[in-house]
Amino acid sequence: MATSELSLKSVRKTFGALEVIKGVDLEIEKGEFTVFVGPSGCGKSTLLRMIAGLEDISSGDLMISGERMNETDPSKRGIAMVFQSYALYPHLTVRQNMGFALRFAGVPKAEIEKQVMDAARILELEKLLDRKPKALSGGQRQRVAIGRAIVRHPKVFLFDEPLSNLDAELRVHMRVEIAKLHKKLGATVVYVTHDQVEAMTLADKIVVLRDGRIEQVGSPLKLYSDPDNRFVAGFIGSPKMNFLPATAVTNNGQPAIRLDASGIVLPAGHLATKLADGTRLVAGLRPEIFKDGGDSSLLLDIEMVEHLGSETLVHARSGETLVTVKYGGIRPMKDGETVRAEFDAASVLCFGADDQRIR
Amino acid sequence: MDRLTRTLSSVFTYAFLGIMAFLSIFPFIWMILGATNNSNDIITGKIGIGSALIDNIRAFAAAVDVPLVFWNSIKIALISTALTLIVASLAGYGFEVFRSKYRERVYNGILLTLMVPFAALMIPLFIMMGKLGLIDTHWAVILPTIGSAFVIFYFRQSTKAFPSELRDAARVDGLKEWQIFLLIYVPVMRSTYAAAFIIVFMASWNNYLWPLIVLQSNEMKTITLVVSSLASAYYPDFGAVMVSAILATLPTLLVFFVMQRQFVQGMTGSIK
Repeated sequence: MATSELSLKSVRKTFGALEVIKGVDLEIEKGEFTVFVGPSGCGKSTLLRMIAGLEDISSGDLMISGERMNETDPSKRGIAMVFQSYALYPHLTVRQNMGFALRFAGVPKAEIEKQVMDAARILELEKLLDRKPKALSGGQRQRVAIGRAIVRHPKVFLFDEPLSNLDAELRVHMRVEIAKLHKKLGATVVYVTHDQVEAMTLADKIVVLRDGRIEQVGSPLKLYSDPDNRFVAGFIGSPKMNFLPATAVTNNGQPAIRLDASGIVLPAGHLATKLADGTRLVAGLRPEIFKDGGDSSLLLDIEMVEHLGSETLVHARSGETLVTVKYGGIRPMKDGETVRAEFDAASVLCFGADDQRIR
Repeated sequence: MDRLTRTLSSVFTYAFLGIMAFLSIFPFIWMILGATNNSNDIITGKIGIGSALIDNIRAFAAAVDVPLVFWNSIKIALISTALTLIVASLAGYGFEVFRSKYRERVYNGILLTLMVPFAALMIPLFIMMGKLGLIDTHWAVILPTIGSAFVIFYFRQSTKAFPSELRDAARVDGLKEWQIFLLIYVPVMRSTYAAAFIIVFMASWNNYLWPLIVLQSNEMKTITLVVSSLASAYYPDFGAVMVSAILATLPTLLVFFVMQRQFVQGMTGSIK
């Protein structure tokens, strides 16, 4: 039977009476790029540190290549980690930093040199090998940190918010670099970020965490278009999905939902679940579903328009609810206007009072 | 009006700084000038270069076994500094890095010892050293200085700037805790060590009261004791006293100037 490269079974972490990881089950296949996302304090970094061996696992099993690793020393788990602050040893040169782990594993000098040179070539660090970290830019330091991980040929690469210390431009550049590197090396990667753009662009599989639990696991597009609950729907996608209170009704004998603030009734024939009239719901409308020629519409009082050139973001009110609408290109809209924003009712997602998706 | 206030304020500041600088430097100038004058001139308050420097040096060298006294001082200062740095840095690192239920209580207990005046410790310490048979040995001077609460405090505060991710990276790289300390912490914190070295070395070199109590034979005495004994003679030769004072001051000045850059770095934070 084929086993996953990395497997977490009912993994929990407690600090005294406080449980921060509340039973996580996850399978990560070989070569897969998995991204942990979630708001601050959701436990994503703690979970990564538990995989690395930097935090103890209170209960459950951590398997790497089918082997139980709960008590194994971090250096013997077959992992390498890239830290948010790069964590390069400031007193060592780039060459020494990259070869440091191999030196401690007793690898012969010539072999270390070869591995370091190979990694330096991949990351274009050859000219920087004799510099100390303080003489490098943020992006270069990040590449050295990645190089230090590469030379160890780990089974699993662990990245802990590696781009959050870089400026916006460099972050985009490094994101592309990491994606290319993953393709080139075919490595298994677990990557922690709170930036959902990073998650969407890099991941084969996204794991959305909240409060120490997995909310949903799936491909970026699956999470975007078919979220299991309101939290995932709100977390994935930028700008955030609009949530409008609604009620289940019957319209001309057909199932429908009525948006409470505007009284607009939307057909709900696409829902497989049969809803009793009067059921309290939340309708989820992504800002980008609004387009001219849709079969339904909302009357919006515009509060502010952001003209970004490639797109126009409209922040408006529908009754008491704040709604964000995203149009492609330039739209001649002004603050204070009232507009009718059209969309297709079939694109609206429905959530129950318990925040779970109604399909 | 605003300009006048500013000018007045800067005049006042410079005048104040000037007076303070003069008060700080004057003893050094007086010491150097005094070393060139004979005892009578010094007593009558002569401020100026005299011609008795060579005589004063001869008088000092005749009264004191200079190499032995220097060796005693240097030996005590270096051993005491080295041991203090080892113990205090291990303690400071440990207190900051390792979690324990009793950590803060033990640490606060150590800090509380800063409030106990040395005068209250002298007699118990003397009895302890007596029981250990260490009276009139250099170990009696060195041992009580090693567990310095202030230096432990200094190292713990400095360790707060030591990134925990470096320790994590080293653990992932396969280093044991003692290797992390020796191969990562010590080199990364070298400015902190340099600053602590200067502080502890100076304190040890200038230490007077405790050596005066426990060092009894002339062969064991340190430079501070010698300066004091020269000055407290029945007819003190103040020229020789000034020469001895210069010699007693030189090593600490030298250490400070050589390590000045690291000292400033260490005091302002050593991680860059």
